[in-house]
Amino acid sequence: MNNGLDKIRIIEPGALDGEFYFQSLIEQAQIKELLNEAEIERLQYECLALLAKKAERYNSGFSSSLRVEKAQSMMASGLFTIGVCLKTYPSPDDAITALKSETVDDLYQKGRERIDTLLTSAKMLYQNLLRNLAEIKNVFYRATIEGGIKGFFKLYDPDYSAQEIHITADYPTCLAVPKLTGIEFITAYLNRLYLENLFCLIFAPEDIHHLMCGYNGEYEELLINVFEQVFIAAIGCVLAGTDPRRLDVSGSEMLLYRQFEGLSDRDISELIQTAAQKLDRIFNLSPQLYGYIKSCLPSITDKVKSATDRKQLDKVFFNPDYPNEKPELLYSFGEKMPDAQYRKVLEEIDLCRFSQDKIAVIRESVHSLADMEDILLDAELTHEEVMPVLGSLGLPELAALSKRYQLQAEIGEFGLSEQEQNIREYLKEHITGMPQKQREAIEQMVKVIREE
Amino acid sequence: MEFSLIPFSSGMIQKQAIDEVVRCNDYTKRFGIMLTQEQAAELVETRFLALSGTGRIEFGGGVIDRIIKAFCDSPYISKHNYTQTLHDLIEIFYHAKNETADLISDDDLIKFMNRAFDGVCQGSLDLLAGSEIFRLANNLRFGLPADYVEDELLEEAEEDE
Repeated sequence: MNNGLDKIRIIEPGALDGEFYFQSLIEQAQIKELLNEAEIERLQYECLALLAKKAERYNSGFSSSLRVEKAQSMMASGLFTIGVCLKTYPSPDDAITALKSETVDDLYQKGRERIDTLLTSAKMLYQNLLRNLAEIKNVFYRATIEGGIKGFFKLYDPDYSAQEIHITADYPTCLAVPKLTGIEFITAYLNRLYLENLFCLIFAPEDIHHLMCGYNGEYEELLINVFEQVFIAAIGCVLAGTDPRRLDVSGSEMLLYRQFEGLSDRDISELIQTAAQKLDRIFNLSPQLYGYIKSCLPSITDKVKSATDRKQLDKVFFNPDYPNEKPELLYSFGEKMPDAQYRKVLEEIDLCRFSQDKIAVIRESVHSLADMEDILLDAELTHEEVMPVLGSLGLPELAALSKRYQLQAEIGEFGLSEQEQNIREYLKEHITGMPQKQREAIEQMVKVIREE
Repeated sequence: MEFSLIPFSSGMIQKQAIDEVVRCNDYTKRFGIMLTQEQAAELVETRFLALSGTGRIEFGGGVIDRIIKAFCDSPYISKHNYTQTLHDLIEIFYHAKNETADLISDDDLIKFMNRAFDGVCQGSLDLLAGSEIFRLANNLRFGLPADYVEDELLEEAEEDE
């Protein structure tokens, strides 16, 4: 009968390390004097015997010794497996009782069986996730799910390195994975990914894409959590009274700001919670997904609170952006002349004694921007020779070169050769010296120009 | 106490190993050679140093008992050089294990050492540690049988005979 009273615990679960559970349990048991010296020594001997057994199996009787690094990894694997078993007990105190009454070998076997169960469940969940993967264009999302986790299942060895993750799990989840390792980490990570993906599946992929474009035009290559932005936008839509399916809060900025303005932290938190409940009703979310959303609320509430204080709600509730609907300027660098002809032009430039003659040859022989760029790179022209050549180019040509040499980017010269860096500098100097209107026109063109 | 890293250098492994070495006396006493508890502890210490030097770990008595049982009937071992020879053989064994990059099993390596020690080396530990182990490592590296001898060497040996 549950009378609402909790049993007094000697070891608090919070004092234990999720990653090194067994070790931290022993440490706590020592501190609380739940295990005596003899019991600790027995556990050590049994762990050693377990390691010896595993080492023998690993070497298949071929060799009685093995590399120290391998032995340490095997021991870490064994301790992790025992930890997996001990976590199944209702409380750390019960786990200590098990440590006293059962052998390390028995606990290891139970942990090993539990790992097998976790592995099977994780594989099923992963298959389910892959079958219903939301069309999110973020490269890290797809690479982690399609490549990374697959790699884990390929490399995971529950017998000799059960504590390893093998992959970096780059894509961040909205709710951080607790300090875990091995199959426990992957299970927790997959669960989060699965639920976040489930939520994103509610929305049209293009709506998510436009929302994320509003967050950052280059979101596809950013290491960010997509679910969080989608969820915040859906909350924003509920609060603004628009359709949360569209993830569009455009024009509701003031309305949103008025709702949050002057509210206490608690009121903001309640407002967001109510919006989440409405979302649950609208989308008929599964209890698991709603539970996950509720766990994510505190971090989202903090973001809204801080944005309200800074009067920058637009940094949390993004308006969608439609990059495909923007005008685009297609530009071609043109065809290059045949190599033999190009060599002749270069020789001719080289033979010229005066700069004016060199410029005349370039103007006469070069008819495409692609050739012009090559000449600038190969002809070893001086500053005085390059500037008039650049002066002969029109605004679209200058914009195309600016885009290619990333004049707008501060680190644009990174990775460029010495010649390319020189062109970049000359180009910068030339454009800086132009009238402001022309400069602005070039800047605008660089934003919309696309090489054919 | 650091439970995560079982103290590999601690008394636990050592004690277990010493007991296993001392138990070999039951087998070797018929050849008139035996080890005291102290001598066994020294051998285990030598093994530990050899293992540390090669970055390896071994459980229980490891190979010491197998080395003892393989070499105790050697014509080149008597009670006067028994302990020292064992110390050297243990060092040579782990050195060879590293040199051969684990390409040979413990039993095959001991067999090879025993054959070479009683045969071509005629009881010389220097020859065993030098040319014979070098030849073994070379053979294994090139995928040749452990006992492979180049034709020139064979011819020389035949001429000598």
